[in-house]
Amino acid sequence: MVAEGALASGCRFFAGYPITPASEIYEVMMRELVARGGLALSAPDEISSLCYCVGASLHGLKSMTATSGPGWALMSETVQYALMTETPVVIALVQRLGPSTGGATQGAQGDLLLAEFSTSGGYSIPVFAPSNAAECYELTQQAFYWSERLRTPVVLLSDKEVGMTTELVDDAALAKLPPFERTRVDVQASSAAYEIESAQEVPAFSPVGGSAKVTVTGSAHDRQGRLRKPSPEVVELLLHLQRKIEAHASEMAVVRRDLDPAASCLLISYGITARAAREAVGRLRQDGFPISFLQIQTLFPVPVEALREAAAGIRTIFVAEENLTGQYRSVLAPLLTGQRVLGINKLGGMISPAEIVRAVRRAGGTIPRADWPGARNAPGAVREAPGKAGA
Amino acid sequence: MAEPIYLAADARLPYCRGCGHALVVRQLSRALAGLNLPPRSIVLTTDIGCVGLADSLFPYLHTVHTTHGRSTAMATGMALAEVAAPAGGLKPIVMIGDGGATIGLLHLVHAAQLNVDITVLLHNNFLFGMTGGQHSALTPLGWVTSTTPARNSIPPLDLPALLRTAQAGFLARQFATDSNLDSVIAEAIAYPGFALVEIVEVCTGYGTLRNKASGNALREVVSRQGYSIGKMETGPPRSTFGEAYRQEVESHQARQATPPPPESEASRVSNFQFPVSSFQFPVSNSQFPVSNLQFPISNFQFPFSASQHSRKLHLVIAGTAGERVQSSAALLCRAALSAGLYSTQKNDNPVTQGSGFSLAEICLSPQPIQYTGVESADVVVAVSEDGWNELRANGMLAKVTPSTLLLVDAELESSIPAGRLFRLPFRREATPKRAALAAIAFWLGLEPVVPGTAWEGVLGSLPAERRPDVAEALRIGAKLAAQEGARAA
Repeated sequence: MVAEGALASGCRFFAGYPITPASEIYEVMMRELVARGGLALSAPDEISSLCYCVGASLHGLKSMTATSGPGWALMSETVQYALMTETPVVIALVQRLGPSTGGATQGAQGDLLLAEFSTSGGYSIPVFAPSNAAECYELTQQAFYWSERLRTPVVLLSDKEVGMTTELVDDAALAKLPPFERTRVDVQASSAAYEIESAQEVPAFSPVGGSAKVTVTGSAHDRQGRLRKPSPEVVELLLHLQRKIEAHASEMAVVRRDLDPAASCLLISYGITARAAREAVGRLRQDGFPISFLQIQTLFPVPVEALREAAAGIRTIFVAEENLTGQYRSVLAPLLTGQRVLGINKLGGMISPAEIVRAVRRAGGTIPRADWPGARNAPGAVREAPGKAGA
Repeated sequence: MAEPIYLAADARLPYCRGCGHALVVRQLSRALAGLNLPPRSIVLTTDIGCVGLADSLFPYLHTVHTTHGRSTAMATGMALAEVAAPAGGLKPIVMIGDGGATIGLLHLVHAAQLNVDITVLLHNNFLFGMTGGQHSALTPLGWVTSTTPARNSIPPLDLPALLRTAQAGFLARQFATDSNLDSVIAEAIAYPGFALVEIVEVCTGYGTLRNKASGNALREVVSRQGYSIGKMETGPPRSTFGEAYRQEVESHQARQATPPPPESEASRVSNFQFPVSSFQFPVSNSQFPVSNLQFPISNFQFPFSASQHSRKLHLVIAGTAGERVQSSAALLCRAALSAGLYSTQKNDNPVTQGSGFSLAEICLSPQPIQYTGVESADVVVAVSEDGWNELRANGMLAKVTPSTLLLVDAELESSIPAGRLFRLPFRREATPKRAALAAIAFWLGLEPVVPGTAWEGVLGSLPAERRPDVAEALRIGAKLAAQEGARAA
């Protein structure tokens, strides 16, 4: 469904190298892309895969590759190059258990921070996280849309359990996003490859091979694309790389809300764990515990408005994710001051609905506010960011 | 029309006095002038190092300055895109040094294998000039560099010779001082495929500091390594990547234009003698003689019927790789789909996919399925020893409850915990490759979650040659269920 989403978005170039659990995307693209007027290629390694994609994108083709943690590690150099040169490219990162070779056929949600913070300088990379096959289709389209719209690498962060589970998809119910086409400048007159009107907006795109002279460099550069030592103009362009993402954060935000006005606690999850979380929420409500649920699909930039709206009036917030340290919780906790933020974490297997229910109950998050054990503390005094609450 | 300009006439070359790079950029400009190529049809792709400064010297060409070693791969990407979406014959020219060439060695090898239309100018000055004259993989034996103060003892890499084994079609080695360098570069650019020219030159900053490498001494260095000079012999001409791609597209279009062969009379579903349309599992939910069963659990309740069951059902099917465990599970999911159920399927197998166990976990539910894992198993099927051992190893047996239905092959030697257990000769009766599907059909005989009619569509969707096999497996499973029912009655 990632491949189908890519094709629906007008992806015309794919280069890949097999790696469990991302090989299915590679195989489908190899089978389908030529038939749909594109080109798919087997690269000799992941570094080549992404370099080929970046080269093809500089030429004007919407491009994608797919990999897992070990391949992503090899790609980080070229991800940064794409970011610096404002070259659109989509990377489907289908997570497996790490570190290192880890577990090829074992799911995990451990590459979240690795995906987001892989650039020197900490520039933001948009990251979308699907929890099922339909969302793979929908969020791949989002990934392409924003990659092309903001001329930036975008990560589709899936995982083994999402990527390698066969399930029923209702084609008619799939959300279809009109593909975004880069604004092109082919005129001779424009020779400033990085001419921007404001820090929030991207320069018009000129393809390599077109009639406008293109100057691209991964080094710090001026508006002409020429390598330069830091000057106000160069620094302005570096700031622009970050500002253009931040300025469109609200537009990029995709979440699924299932809020209960009577709830005193909120469960947040994403990717594969969101499925168990939704089931856990159903069980808790069936047992008479009011609870709100927020599935975050745009992990980065963090959908702050949706988060604050869901967290309003809430005492305890649980973040359920299949990793050791609560990676996303560490990102959300500083945004939720005055609230208790607890993690439900696990390593080596999917978190089950029962485990989430247990963790929520054990932490007392669903006890009416007045009776909550933590009430003896001053409001806001208890905030457990690191450490594990459950599972 | 005025003659195109390549190297700016007033270009101030940023290289050290006597550096070979200066000669190369002038010869490249001369080569482009000789070919009279439109400047916008060239993309100069430069690597890291002093060689990477060249992009700023060609103000009319497209230029892409890359990360270290990746210039060849980015150029390959652009050339591939030019094949898929031609922009009027874009030609990437890569300018790379010995450091970039070894960092990106695989990119050079693969570009040669693909025979993609790029030209690589490999500037070999035998060491890393920009960073202070360190040893490179191309440093000659006996050279003194800042990192081989006691002389280099590692044999250098002969890149053109290496790329010949990758089927490169155009390979040459020249000196930067060669008067015919421009014509060799021009020939390389005009070559319709991968071309590499290794240009031997000196780094006056570091190369000649401690080594004899000026003038004729450089030629001696090269001949001591046994390197060939000039154009090299390469194999017979090969198709370019572009030609190969266009052939692939044409053959694809031809396949699409050809209608599929008409279904032979014999392979039509309707003509099957298998009980396809009248495929009846022998026991219906209401008639199953529950009270008469001799099963260890007295209150034997079948919780599901095709029309009624309202909760998620977890099945685990385990067997041996190559015995159609996962494909049988997939058929069940498709049948469930026809019966209006949601399904998910997850497979597992050892790293080597063709040996050891093979496992499929299935959820079936009348509602969309959220959690796809198994909290407690409703049905566990093991049709081989491999499968059973894996269920034990992966903890699945811990998820077996008193109400779990266990269907295991009679040949299994392992001791099976008592419970709602059926030991049946699936392998013997149905053959090992049909055992998993026969076990599924047996289960559906007991618990008709998916009606027989749902299999019609599944059978119809299969290639004709697979249908008899699948129908036979279903028939045997149903037969075993009927026998079991009769015996129990």
